[in-house]
Formats: sequence, structure tokens, C-alpha cells
Amino acid sequence: MRSAATLVIVAVAVLVQATAVNRVQFDWGPGPDLVVAALVAVALTATPAAAAGAGFAAGLAMDLLPPAEHPVGRYALVLCVAAYLVALLRANTGSPGAVGSPPSAWTGIGTTAAVSLGVGLGYAAVGLVMGDPRVSLGATTAAVGVGTLLTTLVSPLVTVPLLWVRNAFTESEFATIQGPTGLGGW
Amino acid sequence: MFRDSPRSRLVLAVLVVAAVALLVLDSRPGPDPVTSAGRAAGEYVFTPAAAGVGWAAGPAVSLYDGLRQAPHAAERIAELEAANAELQARLQATANDGERADQLAELLHLSGLGGYEIVPAQAVTRVTARGLAHTVTLDVGTDSGVRPDMTVVNGHGLVGRVVEAGASTSTVVLATDVASAVGARLEDTRKIGVVRGGTVPGGPDAELTLELFDMEAPVEAGDRVVTLGSHEGAPFVPGVPIGTVEEVQSAPGALSRLARLAPAVDFSALDLVGVVVAGPAEDPRDSVLPPRPEPEGDR
Repeated sequence: MRSAATLVIVAVAVLVQATAVNRVQFDWGPGPDLVVAALVAVALTATPAAAAGAGFAAGLAMDLLPPAEHPVGRYALVLCVAAYLVALLRANTGSPGAVGSPPSAWTGIGTTAAVSLGVGLGYAAVGLVMGDPRVSLGATTAAVGVGTLLTTLVSPLVTVPLLWVRNAFTESEFATIQGPTGLGGW
Repeated sequence: MFRDSPRSRLVLAVLVVAAVALLVLDSRPGPDPVTSAGRAAGEYVFTPAAAGVGWAAGPAVSLYDGLRQAPHAAERIAELEAANAELQARLQATANDGERADQLAELLHLSGLGGYEIVPAQAVTRVTARGLAHTVTLDVGTDSGVRPDMTVVNGHGLVGRVVEAGASTSTVVLATDVASAVGARLEDTRKIGVVRGGTVPGGPDAELTLELFDMEAPVEAGDRVVTLGSHEGAPFVPGVPIGTVEEVQSAPGALSRLARLAPAVDFSALDLVGVVVAGPAEDPRDSVLPPRPEPEGDR
């Protein structure tokens, strides 16, 4: 049940991002990244392996959907690592108990801001390694800054409700255990 | 501190390797079967989804575009309005030009019929000093050869006479002015009289009133009246149409016959007029009159 919900969340986020948000032309450049916002909600309430899988799937989908102009795997790699790190940090520092207190809204928003920044920089770094001519200091700074700001702004609308949804499913399925050894379904 | 299960790390490692493998595969020059298939699948999903979103979000997108372009739209509207006003003005000017060309042609036709030498002029203002006198100001003056007591005509007939002539403007008393009296002659019977502006005492209410000296002169509605002509063509040259008799008044005991005239000139729409600066070598008589309209005319 919970894994199905996660699948739906990620799929909807990817589709909305690809078909709706990327369609709108903003005067200032990039728009908010709903995939990152949704993935943070998933990663904060999943095991590191599950988070990594979700990130990989979401990134791969974004790589394959038509507006993408970059090589397949670039976004998947970044999102996979980012989601894994978020889940790992959460599992090792955030949850005091075995079941764990549900992450607060402020945790979600702050994590979204940090992950958005990290994903932007990581994406640029991968591009740098691969010799993407579009990566330059000025362009990257502007795009990452604006993107982080917008993603943080939409996170109360995306990340926080999704955290509630995830927690609701956690309570209904008591067996979900969070922690470094938990390999429950995602 | 960041403890994790080996299996979890293995998952991460597999995923990262897969991502890097995909990166490398796709970065290599030339199409790759794996990534091509993936992209095809992505497109397969994306196309209907995007179409659906486009259909559902159409109103919202148009609203957003409208809001986004609202400041520009105001400018654009102002721009278009300015262009529209300019084009309308130009169109009006064209119509105006056409009308003036027609009037000028009529004027030339009239002067050609009579053999007059005419200075064309524009009736600039319709000065009615204190609202009493019927005068207009022309944009020609002594520089163009205009002198006081010259006849002013337009394409249809008599307009008035020049009373004042400045260097580049002149004042014309219209034939409809109450102080104006024009010697006139009936076209058919050659009977003479005076055409006065406005209404003479005891006469009918009219713009122009014909006063015939001969009480027995046969005059009927529809008779045309031309100027009699003065000595040396001043102030009126002979043979210019003044108007048409509309109604004959039979006043018992009057010393003269009075008739109401319909002016040949539309005084309310004076535009292009001509000042007769030199008369013809010989009296043109009635040659200025346009030919009588046929009873079954073409109009």
C-alpha cells in the first residue's frame, strides 16, 4: 500500500513537472522543481535504499521525458545520491525511536531547500565532468539560486502535504520501521 | 555515525553504477539502443499526458498569459489606438482632399464658363461678429491680387463680396448678410431686381429675398436668378447664379414683388471659394449658369 502510494506520488510529481511546470515560461529562468520537493517527502520517511531507488526512478523518468536535453542518467544519478543521503541522515540523526517521530513541516521545508541546492550543484557538477558547455559559473549560480528559492517556496504546498500522506500510511501499516536496519517496503 | 546496512549500500552502489553506465552509454556519439528505447517510452508516456494537461490547463494558461502580458497589453492598446487615430485622420484627410478637389473642379468649370480669372481661396473662419453679420475670412489677400469690392463665387454660384482685404486675408460679406444687396436679373424674363440677404420687411422668412421692381413681371417658383452686374464688375460681376425662386409673395399694396430665393450656394458648408480678380473681356451674360436640368434627368 505504502509503496503503491510512493509510486503514485513520484509518478504524479514527475508528470506534473514535465507536462505542467516545464511548460510555463518564467521570465527569470527555471521554475520550481516539484520532483525534488516530492522526493524529499519520500526520502524523509523511507529507508536509504528505498529512497535511493525512488530517486533513481524519478530522475530516470525526468531524463527520459521529452523536455530533457541531457544524457540519460544524469538527473537519475544526482537524485539517487541525494535521496539516499537524505534518508541516511534522517535515519541516523533524526529519528530517536524505532518507529520514529514523524518529521515536522519545518524539517521538510529546510530539507527541501538544502536538497534543492545540492541537486542543482550536483547536476552542474556532473555536467562539468561530462563537458557540458552550458555549465558556467554565472549561469549555474543564477539557475541554482532561483531554482532553490522557488522549490523552497513550493515545498509547503508539496513536501509538507506529502509528508502527511506518508505518515498516514505509516500509521496504518504499523510494521514500517525506520532506521538503519529497516528494509521495509517503500 | 552514518551507519547503514550492507544491503542498502549495495542498492545504492548498483543504482549509481546503473546511472553512470547510462550516462556513459548516452554520452557516446551515435544512437544507443537502450537509451533510445527509454526515450521512446518516455515520449510514449509524455505525449498523451502533455496533451491532457494542455487541454485541462488551457484556460489557466491563457489567464496566466493574460495577466503576464497585461502591462504590455495596455501599452499595446495605447499604441494601436494611436495608430488607429492616425489612420482615421488620414482617411478623413483623403476624403477632405477629394471633396476639395471636386469643389475646385466645379469652381474652375464655373470660371471657365464665364471666362473669369479667379483666385482660389479657402474660407478659413466663419466670423459672425457678435453673431450679427454673415461674413467669412479667406486665406488670400492683396498679395494675391484681391481688392475690396470683388465678387466671391464658388462652384455653385455667388458667395458674396470682399469688403476688407489685408495682405494675406480678406473678409467677405456673404450674400445672406442683411446688409448685402445684389443687383439681380431673372434668367428668363431679364427682369431686374435686388436680392437682399435675410428677410426684408414685409417679405417672407428666407435666407435670400428677391425684390422685383416690376409689379407685373411674371415670376414663378423655379425661375433662376443671376447677378445683374455692376459698373466695371465691382462689386459684382454679371451672370453669376444667385439662387432659385422658391415662393412668390403677392402682397397687396406693396411697391414691389417679393420672392423667397433658395441660394445656389450652400452657405452652411462653405469651403473652397474663388475671388474674381478679373472679369471676362465681354459680358458673359448667362453663360455661367449651368444647363437647365432635364425634367427626366439622369438623376
